[in-house]
Amino acid sequence: MGRTVGIDLGTTYSLIAYLDQAAGRPGCIPGPLGDTLCPSVVSVDADGSIVVGEAARSRLLTQPARTIYSVKRLMGRGVADVQSELKIFPFRIDAGSQNVIRVRLGEKVFTPPEISSFILKELKSWAERFFRESVDRAVITVPAYFNDAQRQATKDAGRLAGLEVLRLVNEPTAAALAYGLHEQRRGRVAVYDFGGGTFDISILKLISTGEGDIYQVLATNGDTHLGGDDLDNQLLAMARNEIRIRHGLDLEQHPETVQELRKALIAAKHELSFAERAAVLMPLPDGSTYVREFSRAEFEGMVQPILDRTMGPVQMALADAGLKAADIDEVVLVGGSTRVPLVRRMVEQFFRRRPHAELNPDEVVALGAAIQADILESGVKNMLLLDVTPLSLGIETMGGVVAKIIPRNSTIPASAQEMFTTGVDNQTGIDIHVLQGERELAADCRSLARFQLRVPPGPAGLARVEVKFLIDASGILQVSARDLKSSQEQSVEVQPSYGLTDAEIEHMLEESIENAERDFNVRQVIEARVEAEAILRATEKSLSELAAASGGPAGSPELPAEERHAVDAAITALRSAMAGDDYTLIRARVDELNKATMPLAERMMNRVLSSALSGKRVSDI
Amino acid sequence: MNSEGTSAAKIADSTICWSCGVPSGSGHFCEACGKIQPLARETNHFAFLGLPRKLTIDPEALERRFHQLSWKLHPDNFTRASECEREMALARSSQLNDAFRALRDPVSRVEYLLSSAGMRREGQHKQQAPPELLEEVFELNESLDELREGRPSDGGAARNSEETAAVRRKLEAARLNFEDRLGQVDGELERLFSKWDKTLAAGGVTPGAGDEQKKLMARMNETLNRRSYIRNLVASVQKELEEA
Ligand SMILES: Nc1ncnc2c1ncn2[C@@H]1O[C@H](COP(=O)(O)OP(=O)(O)OP(=O)(O)O)[C@@H](O)[C@H]1O
Ligand SMILES: [Mg+2]
Ligand SMILES: [Zn+2]
Repeated sequence: MGRTVGIDLGTTYSLIAYLDQAAGRPGCIPGPLGDTLCPSVVSVDADGSIVVGEAARSRLLTQPARTIYSVKRLMGRGVADVQSELKIFPFRIDAGSQNVIRVRLGEKVFTPPEISSFILKELKSWAERFFRESVDRAVITVPAYFNDAQRQATKDAGRLAGLEVLRLVNEPTAAALAYGLHEQRRGRVAVYDFGGGTFDISILKLISTGEGDIYQVLATNGDTHLGGDDLDNQLLAMARNEIRIRHGLDLEQHPETVQELRKALIAAKHELSFAERAAVLMPLPDGSTYVREFSRAEFEGMVQPILDRTMGPVQMALADAGLKAADIDEVVLVGGSTRVPLVRRMVEQFFRRRPHAELNPDEVVALGAAIQADILESGVKNMLLLDVTPLSLGIETMGGVVAKIIPRNSTIPASAQEMFTTGVDNQTGIDIHVLQGERELAADCRSLARFQLRVPPGPAGLARVEVKFLIDASGILQVSARDLKSSQEQSVEVQPSYGLTDAEIEHMLEESIENAERDFNVRQVIEARVEAEAILRATEKSLSELAAASGGPAGSPELPAEERHAVDAAITALRSAMAGDDYTLIRARVDELNKATMPLAERMMNRVLSSALSGKRVSDI
Repeated sequence: MNSEGTSAAKIADSTICWSCGVPSGSGHFCEACGKIQPLARETNHFAFLGLPRKLTIDPEALERRFHQLSWKLHPDNFTRASECEREMALARSSQLNDAFRALRDPVSRVEYLLSSAGMRREGQHKQQAPPELLEEVFELNESLDELREGRPSDGGAARNSEETAAVRRKLEAARLNFEDRLGQVDGELERLFSKWDKTLAAGGVTPGAGDEQKKLMARMNETLNRRSYIRNLVASVQKELEEA
């Protein structure tokens, strides 16, 4: 069994962490470039190979049509949901998309879970390189306010990456776990997590019991489409507008320039967290240059309306927890966007308390995930996390009204049992529609799934089918049903409204395994050919040197005729094998050639020849 | 689509352990081998937490009990257990959370008690005012109408701010009055709670205790209906005041 890790699958950056048993604390694992942050960017080459991370990020500028960022925004969502974002994000949604979005990258089309799985695979490879051991189980974090479909999509991504997802943990809760360990805090804690694409607020109670520390989430709220991305888009819209006015240039036709500009504006945004002023100098396609200086005050004025949108959820979460701002003992800041000084001021003013930001806000979520991974792996029982479901679960009833069966902020796992019966005589199926959200009407809530209960024909109202709705510790819904008349468990085929079915995932897995096999074969053939070429070159070189030394092509004492024939035959056989794709055959012929040249090698003084013929690796020759 | 509440059944006193084959006792884990036990399909929340069906509960003690059981039953403890044990833990820990959620708040606690005994009947005419409130509700509706008329958006002529302020004062008074009523109803519930707890204590020995309990449940049901009516009133006055 391989290692278990914690992964923060972020909108802009993803990280992988583990619990360092020797040091007794979690740490992030660096990638090949030495950095622990992996940009959540994926690019697809013309030959179909996948590039992830820093390398993919630089392709945003050179090959924007093959490259995607912020794919987390698309997880678990339908085409209709993302229309407004399409105006701002350069997502190329395939026309064939239905309840699962399909994104076009170059010649290929992928679902968001597939794209996320590429990021996970990259991180997995970082960890495998680090441990020199396989990594096959993970705790992955999700925004606390993610709904069922978004969580399921994240879990699917893990599965597609070859990871068993032991648990999805909410990002702010993971951060609290990391902080609690770090600071040994007690009391009521508010975690304000403002990242690249999502905003979460969680209110927790830290309790010491005889058995250990309990992290009990009292309430959570947020906005899964509110983050640093939105600040960037605000700056970008302003700059594009100024370029249109001042330079008479519409950047619509210049996606590369848009990406360059975006990059420069983000750099300026980051700078303004530390400096009072920042400037952007941007060469434009028409040869002119867009020059813009920002003061921090101007920036703050521009983004204030976006930041204000975080305060509604904060108030809701407090109200749901039955607390007032003054009841909060500690405030913790998480997420790269909390580096913006205005965010810190707002939070400090609201809670009248200086927020904590001692831990690196980029890493703290991944560190918490690693702690939870260790709890699940080693069963160390001095910490327990009790999280909640962020949204109420309901079922559609008469007239399109939603009956809530599990209220929001219920501790998970949570369940509800409902009894269903038929409304008309000889009805054989009862349709059930499950939703998530706080609104009264089904049309205003998030559709999660539909399924049909089977009932034997009979008079109306006679059937009794009991359905159990259960939200597991990852916040994902499970449904089971039982016919009370027959006491039979009934299997329910749940059709997710915005997600991949099991069959689709299986299919993707098979395809990726087939692809992996094909990739593996191709690489083996290439490697075998390269090796064979090198041996052929070395053999021929030796043969001609020998021939030159003995003054004639054949029959010299160093090279008897039958040996020469055997070598020639082996060379011919190898060449014909190299024309084909069978790498095992190529390897076999290489071995035969080695054998045929063995007696020769023994007599040879030539160092190059002997090293080549004794089967040394190509790279050593 | 129809749905009904579920009815309660008592947890089986003792069953045979799935793992060691010895009677397991009635707890969450087998008394003999310590393995987690499957959850009976319909387990009463009180029984699950090992509590009598008393309505007066010390919230801190309840929370301690919740935490104690969480340490034992949470799925975190079972990631490396067999699939079927993982399912049992999931069923038990979700039941634990459901039970705590239902019992920690006094109103949802009595609602649970009644519905699990098949005694919760939401009023047939939920919108109808209880007789003793009729007069006040009538007055309130008048004030609300006045307030609405005062709003230019509703076509009514905008009235001067003094008149609006007067209506607002009336509404504020009404809200305070109904909040007061709510407090009275809660007091009534509390008295019913202690009566219930007494009959429960007397339960096995006093003849006729069952009938007494039924009567009490009916009264609690009626009180709950009145409570939800008044609560809705307070909420709607609050809403009107905020919009005005
Ligand atoms: N110095 C800084 N000033 C302002 N913003 C910053 C700074 N450093 C990073 N950011 C912003 O923080 C965001 C990334 O934060 P983080 O890595 O926490 O997000 P994420 O985990 O990728 O996203 P999410 O948690 O929303 O899925 C980006 O929008 C980035 O521009
Ligand atoms: Mg994050
Ligand atoms: Zn046993």
